[in-house]
Amino acid sequence: MSHTVLICDDAIFMRTMVGDILQQAGFEVVGEAETGVQAVEKYKQLRPDLVTMDIVMPDMGGIDAVREIVKLDPNARVLMCSAMGQQALVVEAIQAGAKDFVVKPFQPSRVLEAVQRVLG
Amino acid sequence: MNHALLALERAGGQGEAGTESVGAIFRAVHTVKGMSATMGFTPVATLSHELETLLDGVRRGVRGIDERLMDLLFRSADVLESAIEAAVAGGDEVDVSALVAQLRAESAEVVEAVDPAAPAAKGKRKRASRAKAPAPAAPAPGEPVLPRAPSAWTAEMPDGPGMAVRIRLVEGTPLKGVRAFLVVQAARGLGEVLACSPTVEALQADQFDHDIALRLRTERDADDVEATLRRAGDVMEVLVGDGPVAAPRLDPVNAALGATVSGSAPAPGVRAQRSVRIDLRRLDSLMNLIGELVITRGRLLQLSAAINDSALTEAVAQTSRLVADLQDEIMTSRMVPVWQVFDRFPRLVRDAARSVGKQVNFVIEGKDVELDRSMLDEVGDPIVHLLRNAIDHGIETPDTRRAAGKSPEGRLTLSATRDRSAVAIRVTDDGRGIDRTRVLARARTAGLVDGDKTELTDEELLRLISRPGFSTAETVTDLSGRGVGIDAVYNRVRALGGAVDIRTVQGQGTTVTLRLPLTLAIVRSLLAKIGDETYAVPLTHVRETVELESSVVRSVQGREVFMLREEVLPMVRMRDLVRHPAPASGALEQVIVVEMAERRAALVVDALVGQQEIVVKQFDGVRDGLNVFGGATILGDGVPALIFDVSSLL
Repeated sequence: MSHTVLICDDAIFMRTMVGDILQQAGFEVVGEAETGVQAVEKYKQLRPDLVTMDIVMPDMGGIDAVREIVKLDPNARVLMCSAMGQQALVVEAIQAGAKDFVVKPFQPSRVLEAVQRVLG
Repeated sequence: MNHALLALERAGGQGEAGTESVGAIFRAVHTVKGMSATMGFTPVATLSHELETLLDGVRRGVRGIDERLMDLLFRSADVLESAIEAAVAGGDEVDVSALVAQLRAESAEVVEAVDPAAPAAKGKRKRASRAKAPAPAAPAPGEPVLPRAPSAWTAEMPDGPGMAVRIRLVEGTPLKGVRAFLVVQAARGLGEVLACSPTVEALQADQFDHDIALRLRTERDADDVEATLRRAGDVMEVLVGDGPVAAPRLDPVNAALGATVSGSAPAPGVRAQRSVRIDLRRLDSLMNLIGELVITRGRLLQLSAAINDSALTEAVAQTSRLVADLQDEIMTSRMVPVWQVFDRFPRLVRDAARSVGKQVNFVIEGKDVELDRSMLDEVGDPIVHLLRNAIDHGIETPDTRRAAGKSPEGRLTLSATRDRSAVAIRVTDDGRGIDRTRVLARARTAGLVDGDKTELTDEELLRLISRPGFSTAETVTDLSGRGVGIDAVYNRVRALGGAVDIRTVQGQGTTVTLRLPLTLAIVRSLLAKIGDETYAVPLTHVRETVELESSVVRSVQGREVFMLREEVLPMVRMRDLVRHPAPASGALEQVIVVEMAERRAALVVDALVGQQEIVVKQFDGVRDGLNVFGGATILGDGVPALIFDVSSLL
């Protein structure tokens, strides 16, 4: 049975890219979100095995979204996707409950390794 | 590197094996060059640079492989090894100038032959001529980027309590401050982080190199800690413990991947098998303790047999079994595979064969068979003697062999096999075998056999040639000026509690088998002489030794006592105790002051021979009851010695 993934990013290009990488590795993309609010909603509905979360999104940013999701589900597995130079924000995201991070531009192997670590 | 060189030689530089070997050697030298340059080991760097240049020529096919080149390469490997050892030990630098000049001369020949439109080669040659400065490890076009040399840890380990943990992140890991944060967070999950260097704030602000040092209070063991921290991702190295900190072990996969520009991250390493690192001294100490226990057990068995109380007998039997089990466990933990010692032999055989002009095909079988580490150390030299014997005297020259209808190349096999109770190490050659007639003649002359004896069995042959000093040209190999023979091998193996066996057929070859026991108890002992007999006293019970002056001997209630400074010690004249027939010679005697559980005594012996580690052998006890012995051993010179049980003397 393959793991389910919720992809959260305000750029469709990014969502597609992450989606492709994960699907090729056998994951099932069960939902996508463009804003923090959508991310939390979809998490409630779908209860995915894994969430990839962009940091900067309109209408509740990634860090707050992580916080809300973790409140709902302390066992949530969230992987932050960040750009270079967002060090402090990523730390904050981890403090909010994210398990690990990857940096854009993505390399498939690194993304998959990080996903392995998050899924434990 | 020696292995690759040997493989290269055998392949004659041809085919896949040849190319692979050259590649392996080249990579090894390249890595050494990089590391030594960073560490400032100039002779090593210079030498490896020249070696690399030469090897590059070989690799690209502009230089063929011949005997002269192989010799040069082998010699370079040896000098490189010494230079590295010297550099690491911090001693005087090894002078590599002669060898460097030779390597340059070889490479120069290569470069002349190359198409002038090969800038890489020319460039290297130019750099080579700048003699003093070690060449920087800049990769030539098309070469794989090899890892940067591991440098010293940049994070200072904070003082104070807690497990010392060092973490190095993969070079080039993005957002390393966040990575560091994840590492610290993982560490917090294991217990409590008592101290962290650099500080957590500095880490998050990305103000550090790639190293983190922490003090962790945790219940978990080192392996757990390492596995957990690696899971934080992009961790190259974790070092747990307070031991001397060398530069971190270079993990080539991680490092190489980390160093490449696109920086693809290696998978976190999680080990499948749980294991602990243990100080070797602890293993040795366990060994000594079990040796003592074996001696004491022997005594206990004797005593309980004499007392004949069934409850006691049963308890003692139970204890005896537990001691045996404990001995087994300790033994097992001390086992190492024989290749750890056997690995240096192929090179040795090659050099020895060349020096006497013989061709030898050397095969090792059973390299994974395990043996107690001390025993393996001890058996190394005897094996070398046997190998050299086979090469010097066993295997014939190629011409002789051809004349005898054999292949010009001799076959030499070193094999290790294990059966239930012993390990058998065999050295087999297909040479000329031991000439029995010569041995017999020699024995007759020496009066060791009857004049009418015409044949020798293998056992008789062995017994003769293992007599000290009995040597025909066939059994002696002179190693560094000393005459060393099968007798040394024989005695060493017997001292280890083993046995030697020999099978030889004239014209076909010889097999020498060393059988070594699996159980071993080693005790450090003081050896003493009473008359012409040698006895041993376990060193743990020896407090001191003094010369016996008559002035300090008194008589108290009819018994002799020994005055040791202010102390009065009961005195035992060992000569009388063991009822040695001959009277004392009148020479100055020695006193061994022994102690056990607060009680002390003075034992008088004739002379002290020295300290030695001895192997305790099975001991059934002395008949007609002199119950002061806890075991027996065979000393290195083949002489048996009884081991005193100190508690029975107090």
